[in-house]
Amino acid sequence: MYLRGDFENDHSAAHALRQLRAVGFTPADIDVFSDEPIEFPKGVLPRPSRMSLTVVTGAVSFMLLAVGFVYYTQHNYPLVTGGMPLFSFWATGVIFYELTMLGAILTTLVCFLWESGLLRRSRRPVPIIEPGIICIRIGCLPDQADEARRALERAGARNIARMEVAE
Amino acid sequence: MAAVPEVIPYPEVRRDLWRPLERTGRSYSIWVIILLAIALWGLSCWGYQLYRGIGVAGIRRPVFWGFYLVDFVFWIGISHAGTLISAILRLTDANWRKPVTRAAEAITVFALMIGGLFPIIHLGRAWVFYWLIPYPNSRLLWPNFRSPLLWDLTAITTYLTGSTIYLFLPLIPDVAQLAEHASGWRRALYRKLSLGWTGSDREWHALERAMKLMAAIILAVAISVHTVVAWDFSMAIAPMWHSTIFGPYFVVGAIFSGIAALLLVMSIIRKTLHFERYLTPHHFNNLAKLLLLMSLLWLYFTVAENLTVWYGNEPKEMAVFGDRIRGHFAPYFWIMVVCNFVVPFVLLGIRRLRNIRTATIASITVLVGMWLERYIIIVPTLSMPRLAAAWGSYSPSWVEISITGATFAVMALLYLLFSKLFPLVSVWEFEPHPAEQD
Repeated sequence: MYLRGDFENDHSAAHALRQLRAVGFTPADIDVFSDEPIEFPKGVLPRPSRMSLTVVTGAVSFMLLAVGFVYYTQHNYPLVTGGMPLFSFWATGVIFYELTMLGAILTTLVCFLWESGLLRRSRRPVPIIEPGIICIRIGCLPDQADEARRALERAGARNIARMEVAE
Repeated sequence: MAAVPEVIPYPEVRRDLWRPLERTGRSYSIWVIILLAIALWGLSCWGYQLYRGIGVAGIRRPVFWGFYLVDFVFWIGISHAGTLISAILRLTDANWRKPVTRAAEAITVFALMIGGLFPIIHLGRAWVFYWLIPYPNSRLLWPNFRSPLLWDLTAITTYLTGSTIYLFLPLIPDVAQLAEHASGWRRALYRKLSLGWTGSDREWHALERAMKLMAAIILAVAISVHTVVAWDFSMAIAPMWHSTIFGPYFVVGAIFSGIAALLLVMSIIRKTLHFERYLTPHHFNNLAKLLLLMSLLWLYFTVAENLTVWYGNEPKEMAVFGDRIRGHFAPYFWIMVVCNFVVPFVLLGIRRLRNIRTATIASITVLVGMWLERYIIIVPTLSMPRLAAAWGSYSPSWVEISITGATFAVMALLYLLFSKLFPLVSVWEFEPHPAEQD
């Protein structure tokens, strides 16, 4: 089951998150909804990301693919050069650079879609929020609901309500 | 130009910025029809060139690159507006950029789409353009990756892909909000484009991280793109092209013309969409100062480039130099200097004169000046190759002039259509309490 609580500012929302973490809820159980990005103090709701590392890996992979592609295509056609080399790394450096960057760009897009959870079907209920309101949604077991509700109340939440799982 | 920051409630911000999407005035429709007519005229001219052959253009031996290549370099330069304003200012956390970025990013995408067309238009037999792409084939073509023209193809493809994603990502939260309020086909379109955005902190975190990374990547790509465009020329051992500073010179020129284009677009948006509260004198003042800085940098590079040629006194180079400074091309050269340096320096350098109107005038002259700069770089050198017996002249045909004119109409048309579909100022990024102190 899911509970929601609305807050008017990020201070009280951060306070609620601390309360929820203190009674045993993990960041995986909690989602915060708002119509603009909220910056919480460090450690309040950590969302670790491997986006930078993955993007670098994607870029390097594209570079290796580009080198392989250029090498293969130039050798694939039997051009007679009298022993002169067909493949030059530096003369094709611009191609490698651009394809490396293309790899970084496409990996960033994929990472964004993956980490944001967009395009993935979820049965979690999505709260409708008014402009300027910050909504905290907690996924909990029925026996944890009272504890979650009390934590939200202590932080000054309004509109605390139960949310049903989407069909 | 100092302005007291106005506190605008969020619902009002949304209402104001969404208003252009909901209402279509008569003048809008008239402009769309006029621009569409010009664009269609340009398209039919291209069709005529395809039917009759490239001979209908003014390009002929020895000037094989004329208006089309001038337009190509010009539009690629304009595309730098989005990257500079958005990427640099995003990376440096400059808050004043927020109402400006979307307009800039849209310029990048549209200018690239237009600029990228010119090498294809210039091909003559445009239907075989894919022969440029070096993949294993059965056409007895050896895939040659060393041609700077292929570098262009790769660089522009990467830049266009990156710029489109860079424009699209920050649009997602806005289209998600629009999807809730729109109806009919708009609702379906916005829903598809919002990718199921809910406004959760996971989504915001991922978006912010992705935008930071994209800003860094797109900056590196943008610089490389115009450097590669410069290398199209400087890799050739032609008089006044074979220069080591051509890369940075072109990048500076591109950013210069990009800022000018952005200022002009902002000025038009402000006036026609009544965005006076969002695009404030503060934004124009900051961009005008940036334009002034780029004008000075442009002057520095122009002097450095020409002074070394003059001092070197190499006969082949001096022939081109002389024709530029005091010969056939001198009027273009000196108009360029006036447009790119004298006008911005006077209008924007004197604080008392600097306002929205003068910034707009300066940006128009800079755009004219930068187009002339591309012309001055390309045509004189090609007119006077190293062999004096091969010298020739160039004058554009009505086909080239029509296609060039049409691209400006296409740019305006794309912008008009974009403004009807998406808010030109990012709603979620616009803070209701802007910290705008001059």
